[in-house]
Amino acid sequence: MSNIAGKAYAMNVITPIRSYLTWVNKLIFWAAVKVPGVLTGLVTLSLIHYARWVIIPKDKFPHLDPSQPKENLNYNYMLFFSNFNGSWDQYVDSFTFAIPGGLDLFWKWNIRYSKSVALTPFHDYIRYNQLETIHYYNAYPLAASNDVKSAKTVKSSLIQFEKDTQTVSDEEFLKLYNGLLRGLQHDLGDMYPTPIVTMSAYQVERRQKWHEGKLAEAGENHGK
Amino acid sequence: MTKKLDLLDIQGNVIRAYGRFGYPVARYVCLNVRDGAKGREFVGSISKKVTTAVEWGDGPGKMKQPDWTINISFTYQGLKDLGVPTSSLIGFSPEFVSGMKARRDILGDDGPSSPQHWDPIWQRNRETRENDVHILVSINALAGQGLDWLKTAEKNRDQAYKWFQGEVDKTKGGVVILDGHLGDNGEQFKYQDAKIVLDNGKPTSKEHFGYTDGISDPVFEGVPYDENRVKGRGKQIPGGKWAPLATGEFLLGHVDEAMEYPPSPEPVLLSRNGTYMVYRKLHENVATFDRYLEEQGSKFPGGKELLAAKFVGRWRDNGAPLVKAPDAESKAKYDAQFAAADEQGKDDLLSDFTYDDDMSGGKCPFSSHIRRINPRASLEMIHEEAGFTPLGAFLSLFLPPSWLGMFKKAGDKPGSLKVSKGAFNTPGALSDRRRLLRRGLPYGEVKDRTRDDGNHGIIIMMVNADINRQFEFVQQQWINYGNDFKAGNDKEIILGNHSLDDKFPSKAVLQVDPNSDQAPFLLSDIPRLVETRGGEYFFIPSITALHMIARGVVDPT
Repeated sequence: MSNIAGKAYAMNVITPIRSYLTWVNKLIFWAAVKVPGVLTGLVTLSLIHYARWVIIPKDKFPHLDPSQPKENLNYNYMLFFSNFNGSWDQYVDSFTFAIPGGLDLFWKWNIRYSKSVALTPFHDYIRYNQLETIHYYNAYPLAASNDVKSAKTVKSSLIQFEKDTQTVSDEEFLKLYNGLLRGLQHDLGDMYPTPIVTMSAYQVERRQKWHEGKLAEAGENHGK
Repeated sequence: MTKKLDLLDIQGNVIRAYGRFGYPVARYVCLNVRDGAKGREFVGSISKKVTTAVEWGDGPGKMKQPDWTINISFTYQGLKDLGVPTSSLIGFSPEFVSGMKARRDILGDDGPSSPQHWDPIWQRNRETRENDVHILVSINALAGQGLDWLKTAEKNRDQAYKWFQGEVDKTKGGVVILDGHLGDNGEQFKYQDAKIVLDNGKPTSKEHFGYTDGISDPVFEGVPYDENRVKGRGKQIPGGKWAPLATGEFLLGHVDEAMEYPPSPEPVLLSRNGTYMVYRKLHENVATFDRYLEEQGSKFPGGKELLAAKFVGRWRDNGAPLVKAPDAESKAKYDAQFAAADEQGKDDLLSDFTYDDDMSGGKCPFSSHIRRINPRASLEMIHEEAGFTPLGAFLSLFLPPSWLGMFKKAGDKPGSLKVSKGAFNTPGALSDRRRLLRRGLPYGEVKDRTRDDGNHGIIIMMVNADINRQFEFVQQQWINYGNDFKAGNDKEIILGNHSLDDKFPSKAVLQVDPNSDQAPFLLSDIPRLVETRGGEYFFIPSITALHMIARGVVDPT
């Protein structure tokens, strides 16, 4: 499925919102970023790369060419755009388990929003309004967002360590080295392909090829 | 607990891990239905003796504890061949319909765990109709008193099996027992036997690697005899308190943690009080385990036994959790406390803990068995970098950063994580819907600890309302992958499908206290310690549903 690239999943959900209520949502978005603690839940869910909510007024949809017919829309639209690691279920479920209140706050004014609990109506709402991704490019298909963050931490720590240890004694070096490892103890996970999250024949075959080291031959250099 | 379940309608193995109630011996038998009508008749006669979840003892609403128990469950093919109509069958979950073998890529059953290495009965399953496993019958037998406790249990089992065989014979070939469960010397049996591990003839609650097993089984609402076992086994709620999980996490037809009825087949009478069960035969490579533990234990600062505890999160001898007894000194204190405690006190010492004081994993590593299988509230974790305090962040909207020195925070110590307080709806939000009831017993005997081959391991049966959301998720994301634990692709140490390929060796990080001066221990080249030898997904119907299946009256219209 093209919603998936490597370890990442791209989700686009577009939902109608009454134009006279749009300002409420904009106010909520503004406040959510400013008021401390509102987004703690979202930040703590480490499978999320990012999540973005944008309001598109009904007369502001992109027109790429004069020949593109003008649509006649009754509502403004809220575009939700997120990249995350794991499967659709894992992501949507984590959202509803962990931060149901936050979701309801953001979607409350959207037409026919079901609330995030119970789960099945919420699943249906997202599925119904989700746009499938037609093309999805991922620069680091083997990396989850945690892997990228860890890699950056490892790199900067190593550079610092190199500086700090130019002239130290053996004992001091060992102490600093242990400190380096200790500081990185949550950043040393291996980086191999993700477990298969879809049973599509394509994904299963790709995995087999990767294990056999043949993915590159097939013209798909999957990070090897 | 206010909710009361209809215990007479629920099969006993859903609610009880029989081993804990004095049943040290079990026998699992797989059947193939050759004739639907005779098959239904057979289900009818078994269902008359099926053990329910009703309370044992004297007094109203209770029954005498039976000498043996019998429980019955079905695969998708089994239900189909017993005449359950398509309109009901389409309501079962896709994973149940596909079966375990078809889900091997999701489960990571590769290499030595792949189906070509499974016991013949599981290899042949879902290949030809005659060899499909349709029904699983499990018999558990009660131990006797005194020296003959085990012999009595075996006698009870044989008696139950004899009765059961008689019922199969009555079908005159309408239902046949399948063979192909591998025994000690490669012979194929018509049943899978399981038995607690003995230590010099004495009963233990250990498995073949030497760990005490089956301590933290989830507790959910409505089970009267679990009321004192909620701490550490239910769901963690704010303030380090515990509450029983919602019934619908483990039983269809009841409200679950998402405040809804889990997806179930129709009619309601078919699914209510029923559930799904995952049966897996897991072989344990004892020689590899011993060798690896010896080899790494000689390098590990805390010694071999502490390392063994780090693999699982509990000490091998008495199951003491590392969170409560992280080193030899605290373990000695724990042991003294444990020895002096009454039954309830012992139980609390074993299960009543949180990871709140061990968020960095210095005591119980992130890749240890119990932290991966049931992270409790530990996934509500965060590492804060240096920056503004919340107030500072707000003020920085209006004021230049150079004025705000006093509103800056240093950030968390490198290598540390802490509770992200109040981040989630409930502390255990990411764990509460991934819980599994664990049933089953060890099988086989280790005759030569220097060899991996032989016939020894665990028959594990996991009960859940949603195979995909609960069992498969834990297996895939938490056992065979580590992203939720900020561990990349590092796997759970004991059960992970560690790679046999030199190009992708498996490792794990055993964290240390970020405030100490130690270095984390890197477990390298972890070998495959546990291998899958077969299994399948089953549906455990309620007693009502059993009667309906037997009479052929399941019909959603």
